[in-house]
Amino acid sequence: MIARMTPESSDRALALARELQAVADGDRSAFATLYKRTSSKLFGVCMQMLGDRGEAEDALQEVYVSVWRSADTFDATRAAAMTWLITLARNQCIDRLRRHREVPLEDATATRLVDPDPEPPALTETSEERRRLERCLGVLADQQKDAVRAAFFSGATYNQLADHVGVPLATMKSWIRRSLIRLRACLERSETNP
Amino acid sequence: MNTPLDHEPEDLRYAEYVLGVLDADARAAVEREMAADPHAADEVMRWQRYLLPLAEDITDSAPPDRVWSRIQGRIGQTQSLPRTTDIRERRGWWSNLFVWRSFAFGATAVAAACIIALVLFPRARVAQPAAPAIAYMASAITQTDGQVGWTATMDITHARMIVVPAKPQTLPTGRAPELWLIPAGQKPIAVGMIDSGAPTNIKLDKALLTRIGPDAALAVSVEPPSGSPTGQPTGPVIGKGSITGT
Repeated sequence: MIARMTPESSDRALALARELQAVADGDRSAFATLYKRTSSKLFGVCMQMLGDRGEAEDALQEVYVSVWRSADTFDATRAAAMTWLITLARNQCIDRLRRHREVPLEDATATRLVDPDPEPPALTETSEERRRLERCLGVLADQQKDAVRAAFFSGATYNQLADHVGVPLATMKSWIRRSLIRLRACLERSETNP
Repeated sequence: MNTPLDHEPEDLRYAEYVLGVLDADARAAVEREMAADPHAADEVMRWQRYLLPLAEDITDSAPPDRVWSRIQGRIGQTQSLPRTTDIRERRGWWSNLFVWRSFAFGATAVAAACIIALVLFPRARVAQPAAPAIAYMASAITQTDGQVGWTATMDITHARMIVVPAKPQTLPTGRAPELWLIPAGQKPIAVGMIDSGAPTNIKLDKALLTRIGPDAALAVSVEPPSGSPTGQPTGPVIGKGSITGT
């Protein structure tokens, strides 16, 4: 389900999807091209979540080894290539965060939570999907929107987020769950009526 | 106050999974659900479509060239897995952390994860030589606190073992876990030092290979970092697991 996109981003998405399919067939030069096109984004994601260069490099390595081995599970009719790749990177990073740092929120993570967010980019530079999400985030109270963004960019658990913000766990869960319910309603509406 | 939250928090687990707020156990539960139920997989993909555009806000960052070199090293050797290569040099699906992590968090589902590995990586499967009747054996090394500390999977065909930490207990500074094979009614045989924070690959020599089986067990003892000085466990045994074929 490749959703509506600008012509430019759509070209890029199709090129990535073709490369992934070639990678599934064992095409090494397609894999190299795919790496060149996507590794800076995925490394940015890993740096953002892990906050440690060495660990981000290890994570990135695992992500691309996994891309090479499981590219045949990518289904272009169901997901955009970049979504698939970023998901692999996020899952790899979240698993690492859970393995090493389940209990206390380490200083490094805490520091990033204070300022977890990259600035929302100028909306003219973003995809239609990003703009739609921004419109729907706009219906949330600031505190709830911040919690959703902090969760997404840090990969922290409910517990860690609650500790960090200094609210009870139930409050954090409620903020985020209510936000997700409202986001779902808003995004569902705009998917059917763009 | 009666809100939608009261009616459908369960339904939000797919969104929570994608957002990344679930703990390791809850994540593993959603992943199992996705594998078993197409509806769950669809819901997760829907939330990926909804939320992943946020990643556009993250600034790109070019990785150093060494990462690509390491990736090439890993995949270059995937194509052929020569039997004679030392396990530390060999980087097939065997060393793929994505696969083994499912052991770490779902420690009892050893057989299932083997199957997942074969399904996810059919290319690697083609490269495997014909397997004997029992190609893999596995053991969940359970600690005195009842938690699985490590899972060990033995690839008999290729004479190798991978030991993946699940929830290993913390040891005092200057102490390290050592793995032992205990054949029924015999003294422990040292297998090697294992890591508590990362998977450990171990090559199985003939002495170990011929004794691994359902009658034997694995155990972990607390030793100096260089290993037991006597060749037998010197510190307390903190975990044990029986061996099963898969």
